[in-house]
Amino acid sequence: MIQVRGLTKVFPAGAKAVDELDLDVSPGEIFGLLGPNGAGKTTTIRTLATLCGFDSGEVIVAGYDVDKEPEKVRRSIGVVAQNTGIDYFLTGRENLELQGHLYRMKKSDIKSRIAELAHYFELEASLDRQVATYSGGMRRKLDIATALIHRPKLIFLDEPTLGLDIKSRKMLWDYIEKLNKEMGLTILLTTHYLEEADKLAHRVAIISGGKIRAVGTPEDLKSSIAGDAVTLDLEQQAWAAQQFAAALKQADYVKDSLWQGNKLHLYVANGAESVPKITELARRHSAAILTLSLSRPNLDDVFLKYTGSSLEDTGEESGDEWWKQWAGKGGGGKWQQQWSQDQQAAESGAEKQGPEDFQETQQARPASQPASDSSAQTGGTWPQQQWSAEETAQWQGGRAEKADTPNQTEPREAKSADADQPSWPSQQNWPNNDTDNEWAAQKKWPGKPSEK
Amino acid sequence: MLADTWYLFNKYMKITIRMPMWTLFTLVQPLIWLVIFGELFKNVSQLPGFPAGTYMDFFVPGVLVMTVLFGSSWSGVSLLREIQSGTVDKMLVAPVSRIAIVLSRVLHSTAQVIAQVAIMLAVSWALGAHLNLGPIALGLSLLVVVLLGLCFAAVSNGFAIALQREEPLVIIGNLMTLPLMFFSTALVPASFMPDWIKYVTMINPINYAVEAVRAVLVETPDMSAYGQAALILALFTAAALWWAVSAFNALRD
Repeated sequence: MIQVRGLTKVFPAGAKAVDELDLDVSPGEIFGLLGPNGAGKTTTIRTLATLCGFDSGEVIVAGYDVDKEPEKVRRSIGVVAQNTGIDYFLTGRENLELQGHLYRMKKSDIKSRIAELAHYFELEASLDRQVATYSGGMRRKLDIATALIHRPKLIFLDEPTLGLDIKSRKMLWDYIEKLNKEMGLTILLTTHYLEEADKLAHRVAIISGGKIRAVGTPEDLKSSIAGDAVTLDLEQQAWAAQQFAAALKQADYVKDSLWQGNKLHLYVANGAESVPKITELARRHSAAILTLSLSRPNLDDVFLKYTGSSLEDTGEESGDEWWKQWAGKGGGGKWQQQWSQDQQAAESGAEKQGPEDFQETQQARPASQPASDSSAQTGGTWPQQQWSAEETAQWQGGRAEKADTPNQTEPREAKSADADQPSWPSQQNWPNNDTDNEWAAQKKWPGKPSEK
Repeated sequence: MLADTWYLFNKYMKITIRMPMWTLFTLVQPLIWLVIFGELFKNVSQLPGFPAGTYMDFFVPGVLVMTVLFGSSWSGVSLLREIQSGTVDKMLVAPVSRIAIVLSRVLHSTAQVIAQVAIMLAVSWALGAHLNLGPIALGLSLLVVVLLGLCFAAVSNGFAIALQREEPLVIIGNLMTLPLMFFSTALVPASFMPDWIKYVTMINPINYAVEAVRAVLVETPDMSAYGQAALILALFTAAALWWAVSAFNALRD
């Protein structure tokens, strides 16, 4: 259904959005592109949907070359973009009708198709109300319905559940699975929610830095990591922690280990047996374990393995493509592009405006997204156990004292990450409660990449 | 392409009609211009060198063109909003004619302007302006109004695509409309202008629009003056439309 060979797209500023990307999607499958913000997911989907050109490579969608026959591609695909493209002042029916007309369908055909889709998405009751009165989930359903009006064989869903509440998200998942099963639709979806890729996609491609790092079924990808995942929070700078980590690397029960900021990821054959050994080792090295968690490997571990960074730690999706053109420089649009080119020519190969720059500016969370989004993600939904402070303290030989109640003015995210953690009076470099806020803000803010 | 334009034009008209307060304001605004400027400059007509008739007679074609200018120059703002909300992407992934997307928007703002102009002519007639409101004169001035509306809506859309952002677009809009209006014979006759302003008016499409409307709305129409001015305006409009459409085509980055 989709064949992509060597797709490369360079931003005007010189950074590669998509870099030699290969992709094959077979008819009838749900294919997930999983990756963080700025990984090139949206650019890839926009290229496949004829919305955006590319620099080199070959892209065949639904049997047509995107470059040579874009009109034929457009007729065969449906696209649901991140921003809903429906008009709020029109009713649901008018939105669907307009879309039908734009695909040059016959009036009678449009009418019967609307009835069909409204029934399917349970939108019949609200079809003649203005879209402005719809809930977020209903809008997304209508958006998908408009993309299906001309009976495409293939649809693209770009972050279909971004910004939706848990209930609407689950409902949409059911619809997406149903569409695939009952209508035989091929679906290419992008997401940065691990759970979504895991649940929906038959095959997942892990994308990062414009490249596909791994492709396979979620099960295959997960089983490529043997055993259980143990994650430790440590002070990486502390000498004791370094010694401890080095000792762990030598230990026979640890198969693989990986530092990520202050987190040490360990992959062990048997979690239950290894945890006491690990804590015992930590005690011997006087290394402070702030938190310890044990889980079955999930797609985030897969992500970590293939890209070297955790998906959960990369910034939240901002979704504002145009914003990139404005990053830090003033100007805009074409003039901005021209400016960047001139600038680069002037600096002659000095520091380029790379994707890092973009990511920096995108750390600011867009106002439309609830701030608790990412903490809910890490805290609530994953099947991961977190040991409480007392338990960790026990393994540490009872040296620890329970931390004071965290300052009430502390922001919510920081609290959820740190509230359970004990403080260690014996350690000199451990900040006291007065500076705790600052520390939390600097190092533990969800969505901020850890220092490496 | 025509069918696409029609469906999209219909969509914009529906949206406009569903915001009755907003539509009302756009209709009332030109009347405010008419009354304020009409009163403010009333005595200008006493000055030597002013053409015969009251200031109102002189000013109606000018305020007509002003209305068109102010009405159509903000068309690009809503285009930007549509780009950001994903509506434009939705149209672009459909096999819709690219020209239709631009044309429907431009036609929509022109249609609004026509409604405003109709109300204004009625009110100025009621206020006692001596105008030639015969069917031919009306038809010909409407043609100029449409040309000018198309021209500035297209320019605004073109700038919207080039700038990609509302704030600079608004600044450009202000920078464009007010000086262009003063660099024309909308408010004062050419004989009042210093020489350098007279030269600027020669490259100002608004001036041609004012001259054309004024040529036919007076009691003894001057057809050759109208034809000349309207032709030059049409050239400006064609260039603006061409620019907007090619800017839109380049939007597919």
